Amino acid sequence: MPLELHEETANLVGVVTVDEVEQLAGWLRTAKRPKVSLRRCNHLHTGALQALLLFKPKISSAPNDAFLAAQVLPLLTGSNGPAHKQGSDPP
Amino acid sequence: MNPLLAQFLAEANDLLAQVDEGLLQLERVPGDPELVNEVFRAAHTFKGSSGLFDFPELTRLTHAAEDLLDAVRGGRLALDSQMTDDLLAAFDLIRGWLAHVTAHERLPASAGGDAAGLITRLRSPLGGGDTAPAAATAGVPAPVISAAPDWLAWFDAEWLTEIAAWLGTTSSTMRFVHYTPDTDCFFRAEDPLHLVRQVPALERLGLVQPPAWPDPEDYDEYTCLISFVVATRAALGELDYLFRYVPDQIEIVELDAGAITRHLSGEPPLTAEEPVTVAITPMIDTELAADARAVLRAAHSALTMEGVVNEGPRLRSVRHAVTAAARALGVPVDLAESGPDELLATVARLAGEAAPAPAMAAPMSDMSDVAVPPPPPMVVPADAPGRADDPGGQVGTRVLKVDQEKVDRLMELVGELNVAKNGLTFLADAAEEEFGSRVLSRRIKDQYAGMHRIAEELQAAVMDVRMLPLSVAFGRFPRLVRDLSRRLGKTIDLVTEGEDTMADKDVIEALGDPLVHLVRNSLDHGIETAEERLAAGKHGAAKLTLAAVADGDAVIVEVADDGRGVDPERVKRKAYEKGLISEEELETLTDTEAVDLVFRPGFSTADQVSDLSGRGVGMDAVRASVEKLGGTVTMRSKLGQGTSTRLRLPLSMAVTQVMVVSVAGQRFGIPVDLVVETVRVPAGEMSRVLHQEVVMMRGEVVPVVDLARALDMPWTLAEGADRPILVVSVNNQRVGLLVEQFHREVDVILKPMEGLLAYADEFSGTALLGDGLVLLVLNMKEVLGLAARVA
Repeated sequence: MPLELHEETANLVGVVTVDEVEQLAGWLRTAKRPKVSLRRCNHLHTGALQALLLFKPKISSAPNDAFLAAQVLPLLTGSNGPAHKQGSDPP
Repeated sequence: MNPLLAQFLAEANDLLAQVDEGLLQLERVPGDPELVNEVFRAAHTFKGSSGLFDFPELTRLTHAAEDLLDAVRGGRLALDSQMTDDLLAAFDLIRGWLAHVTAHERLPASAGGDAAGLITRLRSPLGGGDTAPAAATAGVPAPVISAAPDWLAWFDAEWLTEIAAWLGTTSSTMRFVHYTPDTDCFFRAEDPLHLVRQVPALERLGLVQPPAWPDPEDYDEYTCLISFVVATRAALGELDYLFRYVPDQIEIVELDAGAITRHLSGEPPLTAEEPVTVAITPMIDTELAADARAVLRAAHSALTMEGVVNEGPRLRSVRHAVTAAARALGVPVDLAESGPDELLATVARLAGEAAPAPAMAAPMSDMSDVAVPPPPPMVVPADAPGRADDPGGQVGTRVLKVDQEKVDRLMELVGELNVAKNGLTFLADAAEEEFGSRVLSRRIKDQYAGMHRIAEELQAAVMDVRMLPLSVAFGRFPRLVRDLSRRLGKTIDLVTEGEDTMADKDVIEALGDPLVHLVRNSLDHGIETAEERLAAGKHGAAKLTLAAVADGDAVIVEVADDGRGVDPERVKRKAYEKGLISEEELETLTDTEAVDLVFRPGFSTADQVSDLSGRGVGMDAVRASVEKLGGTVTMRSKLGQGTSTRLRLPLSMAVTQVMVVSVAGQRFGIPVDLVVETVRVPAGEMSRVLHQEVVMMRGEVVPVVDLARALDMPWTLAEGADRPILVVSVNNQRVGLLVEQFHREVDVILKPMEGLLAYADEFSGTALLGDGLVLLVLNMKEVLGLAARVA
């Protein structure tokens, strides 16, 4: 099961496919202070990534997967990149 | 040999002939779009099939030829004779290669060098721009530096500064991709992030967020709102390949340090041109575009076929296919309600816009370690039904290609069946005479009659299979005449008539060499230069006619020109100088007989030997080979008006009708064609002129040859008995043959004399009779020569 959902925390495990997107989005909608662990996540469907971007849960642990860690995590945490420019047009 | 290669070689032959013929016609009717298309299609098919095998030179050369033809087809170039020469030379070279391939299954070692010069020549009319594919095959694609697009801002500036510095230090470039997935792409099982993940040598991923996120309550998790920007060191070809299913959703630019720096400092891009087009152009030449072009071609042929595609589902499917192809080529069109004419115009426009594919697909190195997703069905094949039920496809009678040898074998078997069948009559005789059963004899004869009928029909059917139109023999002449006339500087119109006259394939094959001789002779000796012609009050362009007409069980082929004709006086003088005729003959020969002298061995009127003809081996060789086929050659000529040479050949050589006669107890066959009549002459009516026995028939003196003496077979006729004489006509002269007895006529399959007997010129071959006897068939011309020597 790629999603292990608890009251305030979720573990994303293995490959999160498009089938899990609705469930993930639903959980993010209802959870008050969601925390998501990507540690064991190998791939994230674009829809899941988009949901994480929208609801901005706290990422509790970084993924082991190299691509996710190097390229995708920075987009989620906003530690670099243009994430802070959210909602605005590029100059 | 690999069956695929064998098939390719068989088809290649047809294609080459098609290209040759098409090019020659094109030279005459330049700019005929249908013809250009035809040649182009043949060349294209050729290139396509050659790609299946490891013949890179072949593919490159055909590709160059195809590009040139494509330019002609697109109206960007007018075909001139220099180009035609180059194209013909290219296909000649290919023909030579294929002969080598047939024998050794690989191209000759010199292929690369031979091709290089031709490729350059073929490409030169296209201008420098089109040599790019050649450079690409060398593996050094010229980098295209684009202007920095706005979306570069989605990368963070710090990183961009770093990378610009690095690129500046190393004078290198990097590829930047803007990937905007469709909002409903999730429903098509696409995962943009997964695609991005596969980008090789991914340097940096950036995210383009929507201008405004929807309210969490209204958020639809199945709408894709984000897009990506990617910086990578992967080659353009790799990116094209990776994003081949979403070409309309991506934008690729290649940037160097300067472009990035200008973007960072907010300066406008240096190049004014639209970056998108620059980036997208190489994208078009993917497999997708190749398929799109195929669809366009199919659509074009479907549309040009009169009355097939008018309205209804067919038009819809064609319209659909064209729209999809246009989308794949990056030129979307709206054809919702257009009729066939508009569609055709669109197809033509799209075909013109589609750039030719590079000779070889860009190498996909570095891709081996990347997991390739299970390829979803491609856009274009999805429209394939429009192609599969394409009414433009072959719907004629089904044609079976059979090896000649198999047909020959069939013919042989029919011959043996005939012989076996003929054995039944002897069996019937034996049943009556040896076993005394008339009833059995009659029943055997009944059976024989039935078998005879079937065997006859079988023979006719096999003969029919062997029949070929004369166009096969005429096919090579347009090219020959064109080449020779260019070399000789003469203007010649070749007219062929009656190409659909049919004759046995052996006759057609054997006709080739004599015809070439005759045509060369006409071109070299018969036809004058344009100035001479104009001075003589003739049209500047000479006319050379090749005509064929069926005449009973023979076919007549005529080679006629309107050149200077044969001068009988000159021919006689030359023949006398060469010692071919005596002084009396020089005085007495009529003009017709004088013209016939050109067929004498060793005769030549040409004062100088050219490389075309004039070595004095021409016309007598023609006569010899035609007579070997059982035919005749005659020449008529009018000084100053032209010459016509007429070949009369049997329709079929497979079965020969012979008259059987016996001499000194031995049976011989004589071709029925030569037989004029059979007579029994009372001994008293024979007379002698000098040493020659003669007989008076209807006021004509016919010399009589004792066949037994000529063949050196001891035999004497009973004193006072009637003389059985077979009158034959050889070279228009009547000769009587004294024989022992006449027998019936039979159809035989003539086998040439081979091995130890090959020297025996007096026999043209052997045949097996129904009773198992071997019949020797006489070559009358030689026999008469023999008789003259014996006397």
